[in-house]
Amino acid sequence: MPSLLDAFALLYTTPIIPIALLGLTWGVIGGALPGISASITMALLLPLTYSLDPTSAIVLLASTYIGAEYGGSIPAILIRTPGTNSAAATVVDGYEMTRQGKAGEALGISLWSGTVGGLFGLVMLVLLTEPLSRLALAFTPMSYFGLGILGLTVIASMTAGSPLKGLAAAIIGMMVATVGTDPISGVTRLTFGSADLLSGIEPILVMVGLFAVSELMVQSGSVAAADMVVQSVRIRLPGLAMMKRLLRPQAIGSGIGTVEGVIPGAGGTIAAFLSYNEAKRWSKHPEEFGKGSPEGVAAPETANNTVASTALIPLLSFGIPGSNSAAVLLGGFLLHGLVPGPNLFMENAAVVQGLYVGSFIATIGQLLVGFMIMPVCLWLVNRPRPYLAAFILALVLSGVYSLNSSLFDLGVVLVAGLVGYAMRIFGFPFLPAVLGVVLCPLVESSYRRALVLSAGDHSIFIEDRICFGLLVAAALFLAFSIVREVRSVASATEAGQGTP
Amino acid sequence: MCDFIKSAVRFVALLAMTAGAVAAPAKYPHKVVTLVTHSSPGAGGDVFLREMARVLPRYIDATFVVKNIPGGSGARAIAFVATSKPDGQTLYGTTPTYVYTSLMSSPPKTYKDLDPLVNVFMDPEVAYTRADGPFKTVKDLIDHAKTKRSGWGAANPASLERQAAEQFKAAAKVNAAVVSHEGGGEMMINVLNGTLDMGVGEYQELRAQLAAGKVRVLATFNPERIPKFPEVPTLKELGYNVSLEKFRGIAAPKGLPLDVIKIWETAIPLALADPDFKKIYDAEALIPAFIPHSQYGAFTERFAQNAAAFLKSSGVIK
Repeated sequence: MPSLLDAFALLYTTPIIPIALLGLTWGVIGGALPGISASITMALLLPLTYSLDPTSAIVLLASTYIGAEYGGSIPAILIRTPGTNSAAATVVDGYEMTRQGKAGEALGISLWSGTVGGLFGLVMLVLLTEPLSRLALAFTPMSYFGLGILGLTVIASMTAGSPLKGLAAAIIGMMVATVGTDPISGVTRLTFGSADLLSGIEPILVMVGLFAVSELMVQSGSVAAADMVVQSVRIRLPGLAMMKRLLRPQAIGSGIGTVEGVIPGAGGTIAAFLSYNEAKRWSKHPEEFGKGSPEGVAAPETANNTVASTALIPLLSFGIPGSNSAAVLLGGFLLHGLVPGPNLFMENAAVVQGLYVGSFIATIGQLLVGFMIMPVCLWLVNRPRPYLAAFILALVLSGVYSLNSSLFDLGVVLVAGLVGYAMRIFGFPFLPAVLGVVLCPLVESSYRRALVLSAGDHSIFIEDRICFGLLVAAALFLAFSIVREVRSVASATEAGQGTP
Repeated sequence: MCDFIKSAVRFVALLAMTAGAVAAPAKYPHKVVTLVTHSSPGAGGDVFLREMARVLPRYIDATFVVKNIPGGSGARAIAFVATSKPDGQTLYGTTPTYVYTSLMSSPPKTYKDLDPLVNVFMDPEVAYTRADGPFKTVKDLIDHAKTKRSGWGAANPASLERQAAEQFKAAAKVNAAVVSHEGGGEMMINVLNGTLDMGVGEYQELRAQLAAGKVRVLATFNPERIPKFPEVPTLKELGYNVSLEKFRGIAAPKGLPLDVIKIWETAIPLALADPDFKKIYDAEALIPAFIPHSQYGAFTERFAQNAAAFLKSSGVIK
């Protein structure tokens, strides 16, 4: 196999290894900083790639993407703040594990699962790009609508015991998402003439406010640091028994991640939430989810790392970026005169091969970089709470401000923080709100696009087979969730009657 | 971040200067010129300015750096340039977006607060369909749209592409569904999978599919045929009175000194004739379209009036 030999030759004839590791490290750091999304981490590097050769430039950007997807889980686990959108689902069980003093273990699980997911996605990318790209083409606006609805049903299992409050939180998220320019007509909505609101409110700003700022407000309001658990400063990779237990959520995560990565516009966030939900449904210990289940960390982290690889499939085969991060990568290709698309594999096979090899190195290197960076992170979160809180607040706010030098963005974060504080006090869960912010634009625009096509006839959603299938799946999921809810209420009352 | 970009671009600009100095570049009152764009790094407007920044030092004796000020759909970049000193040190890379944003919201500074300096390019805008689909010509498309509800795509809701699609629909007197998207990539999928019969987009967005023979260009919205595709008819030739000009140029804060204007008016035609630069913009099918300062203001105003009329008729603004 000459191509395999060529691939090996890349390792010692080009600086691909240091470049992949550099990108990866930068990505992990950027992803771990709350408020700095994966795409921004990559965009910051873009000007630096001018002086590199095309292969190195693409490898640098792709490994940054891989690093950022993994890095996002670090603050999600340690300080209850997802570093990137797609790490939001990791917060639930990851932070719960930290509260139980198992931060090192949670970080290890996330690292291991991320590597597994990344490798799986990479194998899919290398072997199955052609057939999987056909899946991407099959998605019409109607199918996207079905996918969005399926994603929204996850809310039903994220309501933490109060469906009404969960629903209310989801609606708050959806309301935030409607601000900006109408996706179909172009009419401005709820912008009050402000140009800052024209392109809507960035989900990452909402998340930083909801999670980080409100957490700091709660902490500064609590009396003593008595509840603080000193974390072991050692990261622990899962042992054999744990690895075996994680296989199922990892399989779910990589399966869902592959499909969602391939479909442009679906992305890591939806993949992570759907995987979390499915891992819970098929787990032997569903009752542990939400209370620090290792599977609850593994599933979303496998999924979003798989997406980092499979999202390259529509980019490479059609030149269509499926996410903001893929769009930056597309920019990198274009800046070097490469046009991703059907001919890329023939005309620039060397670059594609370099990309594969570089991504592979970055995925494996993740274990190494993760090991080096973790003790630092764990040491940081073990500092006395007042210092830590002040540090995090300064970090978050200066990070958000430095991106666009926009005071308006800071205002959004602070307002979201106040809303988050109120939601905590009244016991509203955050995750439905996050799902609302992320999914509402997808559901709304694809719903309306479909109706423009059909002149307002709703039967178009039934006629589209993919959409119909997804809607049926959504209905089944919802029915399951309701049955489970009713059962748990019934058993709770029975138990209550049993001990008068 | 800006320092990063500055140093990187300065390095590239230096390389370009040493490599291809032909005649002595014109003296400029400033050593460093900042070209501001509302695009994020890697997007169309950004790439345009970065390519300019490489070639301009051959004709203007200065270093050009690109500064990205995203946010507010261009409003923040407009405000930044409009409030800087009118001395030729800070300039703005224009695209139709800055007019649309000015019309659609009430930003602190609008396109009227800037002085359009010179135009450089027109983007080729085309109507395209999937290559294995039933439509070979515009006539096939319109005949189909007269009997059945046809789906036509536009990349963004309040954009020149949507304006083009709506005007085409009106001119052809058909009842097509004009479906707006969020970006050209999403629309491309819907054209390729047959959800849409036709899409309106820039050449750059379909470059890869065109090279692979997956899409067919039916016609161009530009007033004249695109040099790179002389066989593609214009809609005007086909009898539909629709034409649009997606411009790329430079604007400045109001009150630019005359000698600075002069330097730019001399340098841009020279740069457009530069063989190295020509190679780059030909590959992207950009159409060189120099418009001097004396006419660019009127051009922009005429463009804005057309855009305002469209936005009003489609209910986007009152």
